[in-house]
Amino acid sequence: MTFRELNSKMVEATVMPGQRLFSQRGAMLAYKGEVSFTPNMSGGQGGIMSMIGRRVANEATPLMTVEGSGTVLFGHGGHHVQVINLAGDTLYVEADRLLAFEGTLEQGTMFMGSQGGVMGMVRGQVTGQGLFTTTLKGRGAVAVMAHGGVIELPITPQRPVHVDPQAYVAHHGDVRNKLSTALGWRDMVGRGSGEAFQLELSGNGAVYVQASEEKL
Amino acid sequence: MSQYAGAGPTVHDPTTLPSDDNVNNYTFCVELKGSQWFLQKGKMIAYYGSIDFNGIGHGRLDRLVRTSFHSPLHASDWVVAEGSGKMLLADRAFDVNSYDLEDGNLTIRSGNLLAFQPTLALKQSIVPGFLTLIGTGKFVAASNGPVVFMEPPIRVDPQALVGWADCPSPCHHYDHGYMTGLMGGLRAMTGLGGASGEEHQFEFVGAGTVLLQSSETLMAEQATGAVPQQAGVPGSGVPSTGPSQQAGVPRLPGQLGDLQRRFGL
Repeated sequence: MTFRELNSKMVEATVMPGQRLFSQRGAMLAYKGEVSFTPNMSGGQGGIMSMIGRRVANEATPLMTVEGSGTVLFGHGGHHVQVINLAGDTLYVEADRLLAFEGTLEQGTMFMGSQGGVMGMVRGQVTGQGLFTTTLKGRGAVAVMAHGGVIELPITPQRPVHVDPQAYVAHHGDVRNKLSTALGWRDMVGRGSGEAFQLELSGNGAVYVQASEEKL
Repeated sequence: MSQYAGAGPTVHDPTTLPSDDNVNNYTFCVELKGSQWFLQKGKMIAYYGSIDFNGIGHGRLDRLVRTSFHSPLHASDWVVAEGSGKMLLADRAFDVNSYDLEDGNLTIRSGNLLAFQPTLALKQSIVPGFLTLIGTGKFVAASNGPVVFMEPPIRVDPQALVGWADCPSPCHHYDHGYMTGLMGGLRAMTGLGGASGEEHQFEFVGAGTVLLQSSETLMAEQATGAVPQQAGVPGSGVPSTGPSQQAGVPRLPGQLGDLQRRFGL
């Protein structure tokens, strides 16, 4: 286990020679041993092209590379932290929610429109994801930040999950999502329930939901 | 009547409130039995019983201040709670915890300390913005997220540091390799590559315990009072006598810009 949750807001990461970690810049709280922190100009993995891709997609968060041998404590802004272990599948998450992740994971950017065309783009606007989102693929662990505590909801083919777009944090697995609307005449006259949009996730996987409707 | 089924709020009365313990993560209950506690102003949220709150430095309490409050310079920020009853302490929904000191010493960021027993002596640390508690007794401190205890040797982000106990005062650690050399110079001149935000830490060595909070958000700093205007006192603004270096601007070998500008100080 690379990441160990010390408490709800702090994770401890073990760094070993030859292994790399990526973390959000300035999120280190303390470290033991010989560990170096190098700012990562390209904002993650890959060459200059993936860097340009991230800049264009507005998914470029300031990252740093953590190398050496020792233990590092991460935490940021008093946000709650959730460690997600990936076993070969893909995690979809906003780049600014990433606290730290292992270098073994493959980082990419995804166009929301590629999942459901125009509705995908609308969905990105409603969830605050924008037109693009970050993907992490492979085997490894990710520490994700959220406002308020996080719960994991499993998604099975028989049981799709509906999530408030503002409380959505991340999801992984083979999941299709669509935006379901429940707009009625009440919303038109300003007497809506405030829950007109929901994110419907179906398939096989899990979705992470935060106990708050506040963005990071 | 007071029996609630399910997950309703817990209702406390004077008998069910804990004595000198946490009510929940964010509230601490102190029981007074004719005893006294020092409180930072404005941290008491409620109390049962008859408790007097007196500003420090008013005749009757002069002796108390002399024995356990050695920083008369910021005494006006503190009050003495006296009487019998139970009082609740909290600070802006930060996590609150009590700590016991047994013939020890602990240095803590001034804004994080809420209250302490008069058996402890409060002194200004020579590290600006920190206070030192010496002796035996209980004190209550707030932190942003639960406090994590670590043992030296360790390097700590300045914002994540809450305090330290029993170990020597920290020193500054700069990531030398990052700031110097060709790449460091290029970064300094062009601003390209950015700062990792982690070139500067506090380094702790020796035996003791370091207290960390789980976030880089600081609590509002509480003034610790000015230090005597005297040569040799850190932060006093009085230059030391004798041949001094050029004031204020430390330089590293092979470095191009000012260290201070680099860190945005």
